[in-house]
Amino acid sequence: MRRREFVALTLPSVLVMFGFMLVPLYRTVEWSFERVSYGQAGTFVGLQNYLAALTEPRFGRAVVFTVGLTLVVTVVTICLGYLIATLVNGLGRMRPLVLGILLVSYVIPHVVGAVSFSWLFDSNFGGVANFLLGRLTGGDVLWFTDLWPNRLIIALNVIWSMLPFVMLMILAGLQGVSRETLEAAQIDGAGTLGRHWHVIIPSIRGVLGFAVLISTMDVLRTFDNLIPLAPQAVGLGNESIMLYIYNVAFREGAEDLGLGSAISVLTILIILVLLYPSIRSILKEAKEA
Amino acid sequence: MSTLTTADSGTARPLDAAAEVVARRLPRGRRRTTAAVLGGLFLAATCVIMFAPFLWTIMASTKTTREAFANPPVFLYEPTATAFVDLWQTTDFYLYLINTLVVAVITTVVALLVGLPCAYALSRFPGYVSAGLLILALVFRALPRFAVVLPMYDISRALGVYDTTYALAAALIAINQPFTIWLLRNFFAEIPRELDEAAMVDGCTRLQMLRKVMIPLMGPGILTAGIFTFLFGFQEYLTAAILTDTTSKTVPVFIATQLGQTLPMLQQAAAATVLLTIPVIGIAFVAQKYLVAGLNSGAVKG
Repeated sequence: MRRREFVALTLPSVLVMFGFMLVPLYRTVEWSFERVSYGQAGTFVGLQNYLAALTEPRFGRAVVFTVGLTLVVTVVTICLGYLIATLVNGLGRMRPLVLGILLVSYVIPHVVGAVSFSWLFDSNFGGVANFLLGRLTGGDVLWFTDLWPNRLIIALNVIWSMLPFVMLMILAGLQGVSRETLEAAQIDGAGTLGRHWHVIIPSIRGVLGFAVLISTMDVLRTFDNLIPLAPQAVGLGNESIMLYIYNVAFREGAEDLGLGSAISVLTILIILVLLYPSIRSILKEAKEA
Repeated sequence: MSTLTTADSGTARPLDAAAEVVARRLPRGRRRTTAAVLGGLFLAATCVIMFAPFLWTIMASTKTTREAFANPPVFLYEPTATAFVDLWQTTDFYLYLINTLVVAVITTVVALLVGLPCAYALSRFPGYVSAGLLILALVFRALPRFAVVLPMYDISRALGVYDTTYALAAALIAINQPFTIWLLRNFFAEIPRELDEAAMVDGCTRLQMLRKVMIPLMGPGILTAGIFTFLFGFQEYLTAAILTDTTSKTVPVFIATQLGQTLPMLQQAAAATVLLTIPVIGIAFVAQKYLVAGLNSGAVKG
């Protein structure tokens, strides 16, 4: 392909991405060094916003909460995703039905899914989960106003909405596992666990690594799920980084755009570090081609 | 296999050994059935749990308001459509539904038109330029939304396009463009290059070839990318919450704003949830093949 053709074919997409992504991104970086509100020119304040962010305990709490949530959700979704993908892979005629049901929480909007999820625990709304738990334990849990119960339903909901995606990626990876190696392992006397641990998991390592990367990036950005599930997020300390940015930079009465932008920039730096291995592998591929 | 057929036929030593193998297999076979039953039960339980929130919402939306908020919860009731009728009559739900659909459709069509040629070029022009674009797309896909959406809010107010469906669609096209081009590029990469060359030798220009040879071959890939961009446009909450106000509000934003309101309004949110999600659940069942293909080839690499 000639260079001119390449430019002509990629131009519309590149214009869209640069115009609508890079320009706003530049504005965010600019704002992060300013004291500024919407629709007005800002004044340059140097690193003040960054210092404010790094010394603000509320930001520290948001980081700890988000990182903790990311770790828990990623570990649980990978393990459960692997187990479910293995079981689904062994299904015959039931497979489309089961996959269809499992996909439901992936295709509905996260915020809407979280609303439905919150109703299971909301005694105003019948609260079927509350009711069943109360029958079993006799206790009444305050899911929305107590710190750890609230964290528990947030984590459960994020797992609920992430699980189908991770499960499907692993299921796709399982299709590539060599049947001969599996049979050979069986003849050599490897049990079920041995086959998973020594054959299947090593051969889908790439897919698992990628699933970890995607789910990490997505959980770090958790926002939608918290709107219905954590009405007391600020008071309890259950704010994610994204919710914190929203609360300081957009919500009425608190439009500290400079601080919000500085936090966005810091988050981007974290994400770049996480993406570094993927970036390197793309570059390596380009060098080989 | 051969051990099974020879095991019962003689007394020679190797055959004895084979019979022993078969004998040892039996309990293991039984163990395998137990495992299968346990696995099946686990999978069934997972399906129930994964579907439960939605089922409860369907039930809440078809009860009377008093039953819906009763404590302890009501499991058996006579279904009624009151919440749906109220939703339709007392709110602008149909307007929000139309907005959601318009945004999702515009996003899908434009994203594909813009993304297809770019994805094709990226799959056929190896080197650092392509790699650079793909890396940029990967980084854009991972960006925290607020880093681009808050400036978009500021810019859209300055330009006077705040709270319009096309501004929201434009934002979503850009935000989802990285995913679109990665996905389509991976589908293009599976089409052998010899095909392009053959068509070019036959006198097609690059664009003709793209239109007459590649697009028809890319059918499943385009469908997959289309379903995903449609879903992304349809699902988006954060961007829509920030870039819209009253006239171009979408259903997810509407449902979220109903939360702090009165009980009947809360029940209307349940009805809205059911109306919004039944079509996408239909998509999940009918188009799962394409969703799986997309998550396989597109997501695994990008």
